[in-house]
Amino acid sequence: MAATPRLKLPSQAKKGDIIEIKTLLPHPMESGQRKGKDGKPIPRKIINKFVCTFNGKPVFTADLEPAVAANPYMEFFAKVEESGTFKFTWTDDDGTVTTAEQKITVT
Amino acid sequence: MRQGGVFAAGAAFLIVAGGFVLVSAAGQRAQAKELAPLDTKGDASVRPWKRYDKWPKRDESKFNTLAKISSPPAPKEPRKLSGPIKGDPANGAKLVANRKRGGSCLACHVMGPAGGANLPGNVGPDLSEIGNAKLTDEFLFNYIYDPRVYNAETVMPPWGSHGLFNDQEINDMVAFLKTLKSPAVFKTALDNPEKRPAPVEKRANLDPMENPGMWTIDKAKELWTKTGSTGKSCASCHSNPAAQFKAWASSMPKWEPRLNKVLGVEEFITRHARATTGANYLMETDDNRVLSVYLHNLAEGQPIKVDVSSAAAKAAYKRGEALANRKLGQLNFACTDCHGKSANHWIRGQWLGALKGQYDHFPTWRTSQLVIWDIRQRFQWCQVNIRADELPPDAKEYGDLELYLAAQNGGLKENVPGIRH
Repeated sequence: MAATPRLKLPSQAKKGDIIEIKTLLPHPMESGQRKGKDGKPIPRKIINKFVCTFNGKPVFTADLEPAVAANPYMEFFAKVEESGTFKFTWTDDDGTVTTAEQKITVT
Repeated sequence: MRQGGVFAAGAAFLIVAGGFVLVSAAGQRAQAKELAPLDTKGDASVRPWKRYDKWPKRDESKFNTLAKISSPPAPKEPRKLSGPIKGDPANGAKLVANRKRGGSCLACHVMGPAGGANLPGNVGPDLSEIGNAKLTDEFLFNYIYDPRVYNAETVMPPWGSHGLFNDQEINDMVAFLKTLKSPAVFKTALDNPEKRPAPVEKRANLDPMENPGMWTIDKAKELWTKTGSTGKSCASCHSNPAAQFKAWASSMPKWEPRLNKVLGVEEFITRHARATTGANYLMETDDNRVLSVYLHNLAEGQPIKVDVSSAAAKAAYKRGEALANRKLGQLNFACTDCHGKSANHWIRGQWLGALKGQYDHFPTWRTSQLVIWDIRQRFQWCQVNIRADELPPDAKEYGDLELYLAAQNGGLKENVPGIRH
């Protein structure tokens, strides 16, 4: 399955609004605790860091641990004072970085 | 394809005015133009069919399937007992709650304190006070051994004659039943099946934040433009799928004279792709599933309406109806036992819905499995659950059954991918 990040946030808001942001990245979040059919541990492979910035300034960041379930879903709020771009970054254990962006117009 | 149909009908009308003889020629041309290429040779799924690894493996070959009748016949007379039953009620209490032995009695009956009165079902009567009913040992024994000797219409499995419990185990259960003399005490309101509220599915099928099934559509769009061995892709002929398939999936499954069976969307994908792009999307493989989700999704909101107008389609519908009423497997359940006679009841903690409502959301995302299941896989799982051998997904019997089920769901709107436990 293609790992397309999913975003849900308004494209328009009024100055000073507190908006709800929902993000989701399809990912197996293999904890490293499970064993495969051969009895050997399945290597850990998780998203270990999530960062959200707005016009380059940090908004929300999270360090994820192996107990987080597959397809990590983050829901948080942000106060918007100006138009700009939310940028989201997910960092995989293997170094893969997935990014997504969405613009918002603030009036 | 729809546009082609409209055009052909118009052409036939014009020629009717010109002369009768020409009509049949035009009709044949119109038909030839409408027929989608299909690979009619070979199977559309893996052979020999092998049950999914994680599904329970049991030998159910002695019992009816949708393809064969082989269950032992129902006994005509109750078995006579040699004397009063000597059983161990404590062991009986364990057996009635043992889910490994065919689902446990509690799946259908409230039975006083058995199983801690934890989420019993209400398909069968509440047996909490059966010990007061002064029923004979012979009656109780035979009602468990094979209830068909007293009630031909029963949905209760023949626990003894289908070999799920032996005589001594049934004796123990009879001894336990005779101890039941006071109404069940439920620890929580939810434990009482009469008061347990029916489940409501509130998740939005088409919201990718809620339904991971939607993610498969990205993959389907990739496959749509992927060329097969003939150098063609789906997009070579179907460049505007949103318009071309606006209603198609809601008209499936369909009787297909070239194969002499009913074709559902999934088998159609396999056979049509083989005949056109050369891709071999076998049924119940990931690529086939995502394409089926995509084609159903394009028909979003369209009322399900299957064509049962031809004589052959009517016959298939009739066969499907008979199959839906055929007793299957070791538990001896017909589709309609659960989704007809016992619909809108609880089987343990699971709600049994009517046939109407079991089709419009397929293929569906299964949150417990993290995969898409199409309707044929759902049929297979139902059969494995009632301890019957499943058939390969392209079996003609499934085609007939799917046609019957789709007809029962007529008018409901396509809403795919669904999301279910």
